[in-house]
Amino acid sequence: MKKILALLSKLRNRLFPPMTDFLFFCSKNNSDLCVKARYYCLRRSLLVIMMLITFLPLGITTGLSFFQYRQLLQEETYSNARWSAANTKQTIEAFLEKLQAAILVVTDAYTFDELNSQEKIDKVFTELKREHKGLVDLSVISPDGVQRAYAGPYNLSGKDYNASPWYNTALTKRIYASEVFMGFRNIPHFVIAASKREPQAQGSWVLRASIDVDTLDRFLASANSELADDIFLVNKEWKLQSSSRYYGEINSDIVPRDTPKKAGITLADQHRGDTPVLRAVGYIKNTPWILVVEHQGYGQRKSWQLFRNKLLIIFTTCLLLSGILIVRVATLLARKIREAETTRETLLSQTEHTNKLASIGRLAAGVAHEINNPLAIINEKAGLMKDLLELSSEFKHQKKFLDQLDSLQNAVHRTRTITHRLLGFARRMEVNMEPVQINDVVTEVIGFLGKAAEHRNIRIETDLQLDLASIQSDRGQLQQIFLNIVNNAVDAIDHDGLIRISSRQLDASGALQVDIFDNGPGMPPEVLDKIFEPFFTTKFGQERQGTGLGLSITYGLVKKLGGRILVKSEVGKGTVFSIIFPGKSPVVEEAADESE
Amino acid sequence: MSRNRILIVDDEMEFANTLAERLQLRDFETIAISGGEEVIPLLQGGWLPDVVLLDLKMPGQDGLAILDLIKQHDQSIEVVMITGHGATASAIAGMQRGLFDYLMKPVDIGKLVDTISLALRKKRG
Repeated sequence: MKKILALLSKLRNRLFPPMTDFLFFCSKNNSDLCVKARYYCLRRSLLVIMMLITFLPLGITTGLSFFQYRQLLQEETYSNARWSAANTKQTIEAFLEKLQAAILVVTDAYTFDELNSQEKIDKVFTELKREHKGLVDLSVISPDGVQRAYAGPYNLSGKDYNASPWYNTALTKRIYASEVFMGFRNIPHFVIAASKREPQAQGSWVLRASIDVDTLDRFLASANSELADDIFLVNKEWKLQSSSRYYGEINSDIVPRDTPKKAGITLADQHRGDTPVLRAVGYIKNTPWILVVEHQGYGQRKSWQLFRNKLLIIFTTCLLLSGILIVRVATLLARKIREAETTRETLLSQTEHTNKLASIGRLAAGVAHEINNPLAIINEKAGLMKDLLELSSEFKHQKKFLDQLDSLQNAVHRTRTITHRLLGFARRMEVNMEPVQINDVVTEVIGFLGKAAEHRNIRIETDLQLDLASIQSDRGQLQQIFLNIVNNAVDAIDHDGLIRISSRQLDASGALQVDIFDNGPGMPPEVLDKIFEPFFTTKFGQERQGTGLGLSITYGLVKKLGGRILVKSEVGKGTVFSIIFPGKSPVVEEAADESE
Repeated sequence: MSRNRILIVDDEMEFANTLAERLQLRDFETIAISGGEEVIPLLQGGWLPDVVLLDLKMPGQDGLAILDLIKQHDQSIEVVMITGHGATASAIAGMQRGLFDYLMKPVDIGKLVDTISLALRKKRG
């Protein structure tokens, strides 16, 4: 069980460490710090903790968003590049394959002699041109390398192609697509050539179709998607074979170079100058070309820049707002903690003070009681001696004896005043709050003083509101309050008069007012100003000697119970004391406030 | 005419006896006893006081308990509390239980005689 309790205590300390544990930016010895410095440290500690709590998740979230979106964008860019390149590659390959197939069909369908007729070649060219718009011309080259028949816009009849690399390569292959070159026409173009060896002939003749680079460019342009930044063809030496937005004229060298895989599309991150690009490359089947598609890097994309800017704005705004909020909350918390601590310390000090006063009060009551008893004996003994002296016949020094006994009784009277004052003080020390029906207290007090009033022919009338709500108060102290005021009223009237006590509810909160009116002689303003001052009295005389403390004590008691006391008086008409009690539980004020 | 009977109940016998003697000088018939346990035998013995002067704080039974006993025995006996303890609550509690008056020690003999006279007047209606 002890182990469990120790564990629980440890856990509680971990979860809810004492306030001082937060002061980790301050000296370990907090007692060295003055209060202001301690709360400055606390505020700083709170700031750091709250900033960590707020900024860390914010930073992590922002970072994660940044990297996640970047990765998504990167993947999308790769995917787009691959898709775009593959699509373009397929389109070009389809175009060339179709053309190559058509050339092969013509080669297979006709002999050299048949095509070596201008009429025939024109007819075939027209047919092919109908199907293949990019076709520029068509020519037949005899086995000796000389062009024999030609259909097209250039005058190339009789040209000898023995020195042309494409011609020599074409002779070795059934069908061949050349690189882009200038040729006799001095215009960039490429050829598709098919060779055919006829039986009993000495060599192969070649059927050649020429296509302008413009046709390639049109194809590339039509295949180019919005996402691609540049799209072009290069040969295996990375010399440009088509127009390019960034790399210059045909046959320009492209740097850097990437070697594609044999099949499919190969992706590579490159830099075009200072600009990062994603390059997709792939061989065009049955050609000497490599397709190159360049995409802007994800960093260059507008969506990325927009996202980054938005993220930055959101992060900065959150940071600023949180910062402002944290500073305010930390300051507020530190202030509240300081206030709470101050209040706690004050309350502790008040409680300590009240306890001390209560102890003093109990001690005072005990002392007063202990003194009152022997004092009463002295008083009675002196009184008896005086009685006996007064009854005995005159003797020498009788008057002196009587004077001495009077002095003794006067001293007793003075001491009694002191002990009564001590008892009055003791009575006010302890407060016992409970629901109290004020009408009951008034009735009790009237019952107590009723006889004294009756003997002096003083009528006590009441006008008490019957449905009065109970208030939270101290019954004994309320009795003391009403006793003092009604007693004063009785003394003020002296003989033949009226005291009227009324009670009424003031508002819905339960606050109520009790008025005690007497038709005594009333008080002039100069007396009225001083009636609540300690030791101020208007009661003089053997029987009614006042201590001057009754109303002072009453004032203190009312204040302690959270109420207010008001007084109105007019000479010759009377006096009215109004006591207002709050409905809610009053805050018990420091008992020292009412000390005499 | 017989003298009025005053019973003084106080554990301070010096006080009780002296006060009894002073009241005798003022033409009262008095008996002073030191505690509540002597009250009932006295009453049952036939000595019925007109007024009882009763201390509040005493060893054994306190003044309020003795007040109840007296009132149970004879409602017409008037009781005046004389105490060195100034507690309003006990005074009011006493008044609610039939106490005639409440005086603080040391008491002025004149005031005490006035109170006794008032109590006697009440007793006689």
